[in-house]
Amino acid sequence: MSDLLTLAQSGYPAPIAGVTLAHYLFVSAAMFVLGLIGFLTRRNLIIMFLCTELMFQAAGIALVAFGRYHLNFHGQTFVIFILTVAAAEAAMALALVVLLFRRKESLNAEAWQDLKG
Amino acid sequence: MGAIINPFILYGLCVLGGAGVCLALPRGGRTPQVIGALLAALIGGAALLFLGVKAGHDHPNYYFYVFSLIGLGAGLRVITHPRPVYAALYFILTVIASAGLFLILSAEFMAFALIIVYAGAILITYLFVIMLATQAPEEGEIEVLADYDVNAREPLAATVVGFLLLALLTSMIFKGIGNLPGPGNALGKDVAANMPLKAERALRSAGLIKAGETVSMINLEEGFIQIQDLDGQFQKIERRDWPKSLESTNIEHVGFNLLRDHPGTIEIAGVILLMAMLGAVVLSRKQVQLDEEAKRAQAHRLGLIEREGGSA
Repeated sequence: MSDLLTLAQSGYPAPIAGVTLAHYLFVSAAMFVLGLIGFLTRRNLIIMFLCTELMFQAAGIALVAFGRYHLNFHGQTFVIFILTVAAAEAAMALALVVLLFRRKESLNAEAWQDLKG
Repeated sequence: MGAIINPFILYGLCVLGGAGVCLALPRGGRTPQVIGALLAALIGGAALLFLGVKAGHDHPNYYFYVFSLIGLGAGLRVITHPRPVYAALYFILTVIASAGLFLILSAEFMAFALIIVYAGAILITYLFVIMLATQAPEEGEIEVLADYDVNAREPLAATVVGFLLLALLTSMIFKGIGNLPGPGNALGKDVAANMPLKAERALRSAGLIKAGETVSMINLEEGFIQIQDLDGQFQKIERRDWPKSLESTNIEHVGFNLLRDHPGTIEIAGVILLMAMLGAVVLSRKQVQLDEEAKRAQAHRLGLIEREGGSA
């Protein structure tokens, strides 16, 4: 069965060489950490959710890189599910943000710190 | 396999990068943001370059470095830019850069789905909400950024936590991991055997089968495709004669993987999306309070007023 696959993959770009899985994982980890720092430091509710999207993005890069490394498509399939969850999360989070903004006329997360109980 | 990169160099890079990010975070103009951003970008570039030198291949993959630098630099701007609209636009840049990385990993479908869904749909929703939730400055007034946008909360502690995590993660990552398999390797199960119609179309457009002939069997183990002509005679097309359009594409592989190996997960994803839609509708519904005059104008526009007048 591999001949057909060789035929199928001869069209792929060659420049995989020189880049290891570790490179992609490093980029993914750095992007995740940037998202984490943003989530912890920014006080604007919308930017906090934008930072969670940054973390989703990093997870997606790691998944696709691992899928490429293990030569299967589960990684790419799970990126589809990440997209689903990100879309659902964006819809819910933004509806909540609009609701919170109407209450206090401010996007400041600290305006709600009396919620910490 | 030994470590690609010395852990102490790695920790040093993490400390420097953390200092750069910490300086780059907005603090009401009290820190030199530009210098911090430059420092962080330089450290990121140095780390990637170092990796490129250490990987030791005859031709390094320049696209990877370009895309990852764009992605990380734009990610830095997402978390440091005081204006939310610009942060969202920089996030779109990050999405495009990761789509480039996906292309290098030969995940074409995911790359374009990422751009369509993320940059095209999710980020536009974010932009709408940002514009809904910020007040425009009054006429003749100078726009002032809100205090919560200009001042970061606990930048030092957050950066220390973040870059400790990065140092830990990378020291595990770089414990020596082999190269990605080259393009000559088998990439997943072959799906062409499940698609006789596609094989027939490819063979027909290559002129290998004539009108009236059909594909009767695809045998990948022995490497032939059997076709049947009008008189019921069988013919074999050997592997070396197969046309190039018979190759299975990335989107076919992903589709087969999605529907054959994860059918239940699709159902769950559908339920999640439905619940999110319902939740968003319920959350953002608002009772609009209109005064009497506005109500009358609305009724007039809808043509209700005549009916009312007729009955009264």
